[in-house]
Parts: sequence; structure tokens; C-alpha cells
Amino acid sequence: MSKNENTITTEESTDADPKTTDEKLISTEVTTGTETGRTAAGGRTIIEARNVDVYYDDLRALDDVSLQIPEGQVTAMIGPSGCGKSTFLRCINRMNDLVDAARVEGDLLLKNKNVYDDDVDPVALRRRVGMVFQEPNPFPKSIYDNVAYGRRIQGLDGDMDEAVEQALRRAALWDEVKDQLDKSGLDLSGGQQQRLCIARAIAVDPEVVLMDEPASALDPIATSKIEDLIDELAEEYTVVIVTHNMQQAARISDKTAVFLTGGELIEFGDTEKIFENPEHQRVEDYITGKFG
Amino acid sequence: MAREEFQAELGDLRDAVVDLGRTVLDQFRRAARALVEGDDETATDVVDGDGTVNRRYLDLESRCIDLFALQQPVAGDLRFVAASFKILTDIERIGDLAVNLAEHALEKRRNYLPEVSVDDLTGIAAEMVGRALDAYERGDAAACHAVADQDDELDGLCQRVAQLVVEDLVGREADHTVDDDLLAGVRRLLVTIRDVERVGDHAENIAARTLYMVEADETLLY
Repeated sequence: MSKNENTITTEESTDADPKTTDEKLISTEVTTGTETGRTAAGGRTIIEARNVDVYYDDLRALDDVSLQIPEGQVTAMIGPSGCGKSTFLRCINRMNDLVDAARVEGDLLLKNKNVYDDDVDPVALRRRVGMVFQEPNPFPKSIYDNVAYGRRIQGLDGDMDEAVEQALRRAALWDEVKDQLDKSGLDLSGGQQQRLCIARAIAVDPEVVLMDEPASALDPIATSKIEDLIDELAEEYTVVIVTHNMQQAARISDKTAVFLTGGELIEFGDTEKIFENPEHQRVEDYITGKFG
Repeated sequence: MAREEFQAELGDLRDAVVDLGRTVLDQFRRAARALVEGDDETATDVVDGDGTVNRRYLDLESRCIDLFALQQPVAGDLRFVAASFKILTDIERIGDLAVNLAEHALEKRRNYLPEVSVDDLTGIAAEMVGRALDAYERGDAAACHAVADQDDELDGLCQRVAQLVVEDLVGREADHTVDDDLLAGVRRLLVTIRDVERVGDHAENIAARTLYMVEADETLLY
């Protein structure tokens, strides 16, 4: 298996200024492979990691990770703190590019195209692979502008009002904010802010939505709404979610990947199998709390 | 610490399920003996003891529900609690069937026992229950398969015994010695044979759930 080494030193932001983003969109186009593989458990593969290692300077954060994430399903990443699950998530849309010391080896394919190839523009990639973070981070703008922002900087055509409404509807927030679209996104509750961020992410019609502990800062009611929303999002998008809440992973995901200390992917498979009868004793010990 | 307490709770649950199972097995053995020996006192004890069995069953069922709700077990722990929850129902049903036998023993028509004896049947059924409980206690997958094999033997034997009862009845009809009491006795005996056969089925269920618990193997469930 060949390895492509990508030493990442550039400083790029998902919230890059519009001019820079537009320029990159014009200059670079993310190509899409024509064939996709199949995951071991069936379903079309949209993301495939082949022998992916990630280093932060000399520290190995991911160790030879290979897996195939199916399209149109929810895949959960679980494991103890520092196991590399968030690092893996951030590899998918090259968020690790923002970390000077980060170095990615191996192949990480989105529809058979290595996202670390030289001709891939990270900003364009992030339109196809959106991300929602642990803490809701709406911009200090109106609800409308929060959702419209991504489309504007991506230069997407079409009826903006319609696009904003659709994104808010898909994020299960429309009914709560339709009469106050001019209100600041920061005035919403935590759960509403997180759904606003999801609306912002899906407003640009991504193929994949990455979520890094999206409900860990929310109360149980807001968490429940986010979980329901994830279930609905999976009808249109591929969702990859990192969570420390194993019951949440069990509730909402179709597939589960278990990372353990040292950045190793120990087991990946159907969520039912992982939580009912895992193959590996280390996984059994971790999810049943028999560790330490 | 909390997880250690949880593991201790699982161990306690296993012990309590086995203990209830052995109590019920004792109930069944005593009911079978009362039926054969016409021992009304033992039969009455068995009937009276069922209330305690039911209370212990409900208590253990509640403990399983608490474990699901509060500990949210997964993997091997999940299979253990889920299997225990189902096995408890089988144990409670064996207790009910023991009561059926005991009530048969208390009936005056119990004397209708032709050339067949339910002794052989109850002996096999009791052995199956005991082996199934041992398998559950030890987590012994091989023993689960052995119990399932033995159920085939018991089913065949019950079928042959029921056939003998029917043939005996037909012979008596030819001799014009059939009356209502005799018919009631035959009917009761056939029900008892069916009850013993069901005890074997519940023992097999315990083995099947245990196999799932130990190896996530659902083979014996179907």
C-alpha cells in the first residue's frame, strides 16, 4: 500500500474571507471519482481511509487507520479522550491543515478521490464536507445571515430566501425562528444555536456532515432534538459523528468505529454488533467500563 | 468504583437467578414425587410455595429492569442481563407447571395411571432443568447444546407415553369399562404429560438464552 505524505503547514480557515474562498473555488475544483467501493457490511462507500497515520510533530495520533464509511448512513466514532477519533474526523475535511505540526500519511478518499491530493482545494472540500463543532458557534449575525453566509461565500446561485428556509427546515429550526430571522443567532438557546450551525452547514448542500460531539454541551431535551435531527439528516447526507456518549452512539448510528489509546482503530462495524457482541476483548472492556 | 459495584450486581443477579431456579426445580421434583406417591402433604406444600416463587421472580425481574435503566449494559453485560430477564420467565413458568402437577396429585382421580409412569418423564425434565441452570451459572455453551439434545429425547418419550395412554383407553372401551371418572383421569394424565414436556421446553429455553448470553449464538433460539 502506497503512502502519500502530506506535510501541512498552511494556515487555512473554514471561515475564510469571501474573497480568498471565491478565488480558490475558481482556481481549483474537487474532482469526484467515478467508482465507489462497497463497505464490508454493504452500502456504497463515500469515505475510505487507507492506512492513515497522523502525527503532531513526533506524536502519533492515528496509527494505520483503514475503514470504509458508507454513504447515507450515520457513522459514530467512539473511544477514550486522546484516542484519535476527533483527529480522524478532522482529517476528512482537512481541518488538521490548520494545525502547523500536523502531518497526515496514507490515503483518505472521498468518493475515490484522495482529499490530500495537490489539486484538491481544502475550502472547496469543506463545502462538500461540512462540520458541526462541540460548542455552538454561530456568527454574530442574524439568523438569516448565519445560514446564508456559506452560500454567499461559495457563490451559490438560486433563491437565497428559499435556500435559507429549506436549510432551517431541514435543521428542524424553521418553526421556531421563522418570525425572527433578523434576530441575532447569538440570542438563541444553546440547542437552537447548534441547530442553526447545522442549518449553516447544510445550507451549502454538502455530501457529508461531520459532527464533533455536537450535543455534549446541550441539555437532554436539546440533545434529543439534535439526535432526532441527525436521524433525519441521514436521509440526505452522510453523517460522521464523534461522541463520548456511547448510548448516543448506540441510539443514532448505523456503524460504529471504536478507537482506543494510541490512535488505533480497533473495531468498525454495525452498531448493533459493536454494542451487543464486539469482536475484540479490548472493545468489550471499553464499552462495558472494564478498563483501568 | 461504580462499575465495580455494577459488576458485583451482575454477580448477585446470577446467584439469585440460579437460586430461584433451584428452588423451582425442587418444587417440580417434589410435585412429581407427590403425584406418583399420592403424597398430599408434599403436594400442598408445592402449591403453597408458588406465591413465594412468584414474589422472588417479580423482584428479580425488577432488578433486571433497574440494571437496564440505570446501568445501560452493553456487549457481554447486555447479553447477560437480557438472557437473565428471559430465563426468569422460564423459571417462573416451570414453577407454575410444578403447581399443575401438585394439583393433579391432590385430585382424587389421580389413581388413573396405566402401564405408563410419569416418573421417567419428570426425571428427564428435572435433569434438563438442573443442567440448564448449571450451564447458565457456569456460562457453559457445550452444556446448552446437550440440554437441547435431551429435549428431543423427552419430546419423543412424552409422545410415546401419550400414545400408550390412548391405546389403554381404547382397550378399556372395548371392554366396556370406560366411565366419566376414567375419562377425566385420562384427560388429566394427558395434560400432565404435556406439562412435563413443557418443563423440558422451558429448560431448553434456558439453555438457548444461556448460549446467546455466552457466545451471542442464537442457534438454539430458533
